[in-house]
Amino acid sequence: MTKLQAKNIVKHFDHNGNSILALDGINLNVEEGDFICIVGPSGCGKSTFLNIVAGLEKPDSGEILLNGNLITTPGPDRTMVFQEGALFPWLKVIDNVEFGLKMAGIPKDERRQISERYLDMMQLAKFTDSYTYQLSTGMKQRVAIARALAMDPEILLMDEPFAALDSQTRDLLLVELQLIWERTKKTIIFVTHNISESVILGNRVVVFKNRPSKIKKEFVIDYRRPRLAEDENLQKYYHQILEELKSEVMAHIKDENL
Amino acid sequence: MNEKIILKKTSHGSFDDAANAALFLAVFVGIWQIVFMLGIWPKISLPSPLMVAESFVKIIWNHSLPVSIGVTLARLVTAFAVSIALGTLIGLAMIKFKGFGKTLSSFSAGLLSFPSIAWVPFSILLIGFNDFGILFVVVMSSIFSIMISTYSSIRNIPPIYLDAAKNMGAKGFYLFRHVTIPAATPSLIIGIRQAWSFAWHAIIGAEILMSIVGLGHILSVGRDFLDMGQVIASMITIFAIGLLVDRLLLFKLDERVRKKWGLDHHR
Repeated sequence: MTKLQAKNIVKHFDHNGNSILALDGINLNVEEGDFICIVGPSGCGKSTFLNIVAGLEKPDSGEILLNGNLITTPGPDRTMVFQEGALFPWLKVIDNVEFGLKMAGIPKDERRQISERYLDMMQLAKFTDSYTYQLSTGMKQRVAIARALAMDPEILLMDEPFAALDSQTRDLLLVELQLIWERTKKTIIFVTHNISESVILGNRVVVFKNRPSKIKKEFVIDYRRPRLAEDENLQKYYHQILEELKSEVMAHIKDENL
Repeated sequence: MNEKIILKKTSHGSFDDAANAALFLAVFVGIWQIVFMLGIWPKISLPSPLMVAESFVKIIWNHSLPVSIGVTLARLVTAFAVSIALGTLIGLAMIKFKGFGKTLSSFSAGLLSFPSIAWVPFSILLIGFNDFGILFVVVMSSIFSIMISTYSSIRNIPPIYLDAAKNMGAKGFYLFRHVTIPAATPSLIIGIRQAWSFAWHAIIGAEILMSIVGLGHILSVGRDFLDMGQVIASMITIFAIGLLVDRLLLFKLDERVRKKWGLDHHR
């Protein structure tokens, strides 16, 4: 069943008064339970695309359909895990996780129960009453994931959530995220510039072209899980994607030097 | 474990601070006493510490000091409350109506640094030689800090907090109450501290020039009667109140928020 449909999404940036075409007609069908990774050169508009799906930005033309319904505003049915976590420093860990649930009017006991369940899943049970500055970057990202999952969204959106992590923490979270995906059967769209991340996580990997961005190619990664970072059998996928991406990255560097 | 160490360090630190302050005070009074004994100035221009202490006893005994403190603080609290309420409202309006906000904030440098005393003649002629005139001076001296800090604190909130909150379904008043306000709080407190110090400057100045009661007034009476003891005693009182309010109230508040946010964590 098609969960989410992006139809011909076009978006311009305003850059020093010039209008730059960032997304030039993105078409994407996301099936229920898909784990889609979007890779592309930096600045190609993949995060913008995710923001449009989240409803935080509006496309110039085109539309996003969730379960067949048009999306125009942000909503808890599409929760996002941001690159920097975006936890609220004035709230304790547990209150961060409960934030959206409170907004949704869920009673206190139930809120607490849900939040504790996801913090448990993220192995953060000991830190429910900590403030966010007391956590490491990796722990913060786990709280952010717990917060997003607690909303029980239709789709989980992840915008380079592991980019700021050290590689050991990242490897652990890559496995954890796969386990969570299998357990919760969530539909996930995961944006990254890291090819190996996309190969490990995605059952589909979508490659974005350099600006103006379109979908260049899509790969289906049919391989057992949990996939590990050091698994050599993933190399062939890695190289196929790298081959596609190389010319785009070169084009991006050229653009930047202009 | 970690927490214990920090706790120990701070309690030790505050003891050191108190000892240092006491030492500083003793040295200061000592130098004062020595200068007094050297007899460079006549007694009437520079009384000894003991004579000032006697003046303290005198103005406490005849109630003029406690009454003055009460009157001044009552005025100050009233004016400051008006400043915060109005200043916050105008600050919010500046955010809501962008053109208005931009214009007003570009006047901010002039409005912020405008000397409070310069409002006094205007206030006397407009409102009169009364409490309301004094309140006016104090409000005008502190309201711009509140306005500008409300405006800039809210505008400087990292957009990612608002995005994250909207993403979880927050909007309207809920978003304002649970994200905008707390996210702006550390910076708002700085604005309030600044406004408080402007208000404190303003009220003493206004009372010297346009009041028949209050701390500024007993200061000015001391001058009229060539009573330097009373002048210094009033000055010490003004200093002490300013210090106490900032340390015990505003600084504590600031520190609490900074600690919760972890803003001093790496220092």
